[in-house]
Amino acid sequence: MKRFALIATLIMALAAGFGCAKKTTDEAPMSDTGISAEMQAAIDQITDARVYFAFDRFDLTPQYKEVLKAKADLMKTYSSIRVRIEGNCDARGTQEYNLALGEKRARVVYEYLVVLGVNPAQLEMISYGKENPAVDGTGEAAWSKNRRDEFRVIAH
Amino acid sequence: MKNIVTLVFTLCLLCAAQAQAAMRVDIYGPGENIVNLALAAPLTAPSTEAKGLGAKLNTVVLQNLSVLPFMKLTDKQNVLGGTVLEGYDNPGVDFKRFQIAGSDILVTAFWPKGDGNNSTVQLRAFETNTGQRLFGKEYAGVKEKLLPEVADRFCADLLEKLTGSGAFFRSTLVFSQKTGKMQGNLYLVKPTGRDLRRITNIQGEALSPTWSMDGRFIVFTHLDAKSHALGVWDRASGQVQRIRFPGNTVIGPAFMPNNKVAVSLSNGKTPDIFLLNHAFQKERVLESTGAINVSPSFDSTGTKMAFTSNRMGGPQIFLKDLNSGTVTRVSQNGGYNTEANISPDGTLVAYSRMTDYGHRIFVQDMLTGVERQVSFGPGSDEQPAFCADSYFIAFASTREGGRGIYLTTRHGGEARKVPTGGGNVSFPRWGMPGTGDGK
Repeated sequence: MKRFALIATLIMALAAGFGCAKKTTDEAPMSDTGISAEMQAAIDQITDARVYFAFDRFDLTPQYKEVLKAKADLMKTYSSIRVRIEGNCDARGTQEYNLALGEKRARVVYEYLVVLGVNPAQLEMISYGKENPAVDGTGEAAWSKNRRDEFRVIAH
Repeated sequence: MKNIVTLVFTLCLLCAAQAQAAMRVDIYGPGENIVNLALAAPLTAPSTEAKGLGAKLNTVVLQNLSVLPFMKLTDKQNVLGGTVLEGYDNPGVDFKRFQIAGSDILVTAFWPKGDGNNSTVQLRAFETNTGQRLFGKEYAGVKEKLLPEVADRFCADLLEKLTGSGAFFRSTLVFSQKTGKMQGNLYLVKPTGRDLRRITNIQGEALSPTWSMDGRFIVFTHLDAKSHALGVWDRASGQVQRIRFPGNTVIGPAFMPNNKVAVSLSNGKTPDIFLLNHAFQKERVLESTGAINVSPSFDSTGTKMAFTSNRMGGPQIFLKDLNSGTVTRVSQNGGYNTEANISPDGTLVAYSRMTDYGHRIFVQDMLTGVERQVSFGPGSDEQPAFCADSYFIAFASTREGGRGIYLTTRHGGEARKVPTGGGNVSFPRWGMPGTGDGK
């Protein structure tokens, strides 16, 4: 009877082990935050690539339209992702005008993503004007890095 | 008979006007933007110097007057024979020693019952060349803690005699102090640097504060990581209300004389200027063109609105007649003019222009069309704001490294710094005289 119980336990343990193995091979690996690797890669791709602008301009260059196409594809694939588009300006302009310019920069990207098929409910936007520089300092090297849109995933 | 009465009344008015004109020291005219002023030693009796409250009051008055950009104070070391006089009123005042020292105006102080606590002081101002008394006033119940208030009242009265308005010393400035990235609160301060105090304690950054006409409210742009909002500080409660709007954009609010707020909000495409009702809800559009429209400011009648727009490419200053709807371009030079601020009398528009050396403040005379540069750096001079007298201009500048608040005049007098306790400060805005003590 004791031997029978031992064999039954071993069979259950093996079955459980096979079960676990099957589960891990069927699903994507999970990160520490509970996000699948693919989802995390999508989030990284959406947030990493910024869109930059010329001084006192808010028009999109072809280079950044390509960047936005990639973001749009990911957002359509992962429709649970919500993104905040953050418009920013360099330190040369004045604060109130830059808040308006930052909004134009955020809005042009918002509208382009919607044209590409992203659900507007996945997007929100804000202008920080010149209040949130990416880099400190003066000169075109710093200014050009601050005239940007950033993308922050706020839900997924 | 009626005609004779009218004629006599008219003559009286003319005489009064002439007397007033004779007393007025014109600091508005070109080339007349420096006034040399001396303070005689305070007296408790002829040739007897007051060394108690009298000496302290003189010090505070000197501190007050030293912030006036057109005022040059005579060093008492330069007065031959000293500043202790035999008398405090004509005759008995030796004006000659002050004339020699270059003073245009002399102020005397007399404490008839001594300068102990709860005493009375008589303050007088004279033109040194003619000996004519410009102004004289008695202040009773003077105590040590009231000295700043007495000094403010005297300086306001004196300034009113000199310029026609004492608004400078009766006003309170609100400004924003930045403490970090998108972190900053609002403070109040007298233009003399006194009565400095913080009035908000909120997360995020407070920008573009502006006073209501009655001094009860200050509205401002509140910015945090997620949203813009219209911040409303109520002096009655000391609390801040945060009002959000669709589009998540709130830029540069300004009160109109009827205590309604104009502010740039998103219309779904671009920031336009909206008028809010008394409940801070959208009432109607004030300016909408498909381009950026921000930074409205109004004259005291509420019929003229100066603002910034990029409708012609780069940002420029425009003026809208709210009665006719006519919009005219104000700034004609430079490619980047922003931060329009119209004087309460509607005759001047100040703005900042981007130059190769930073921003500079310019003032355009709307009657003559003449533009005048009134700030000269170094660093960047921004955010001009007219005082209620349409004469003084406060602005933010980085001329000493960190951003501070400075005062100049519509003629561009030598800029004087407003003591604000240090820190990175900006957006000075004047309250209406006598309304903005924030207490």
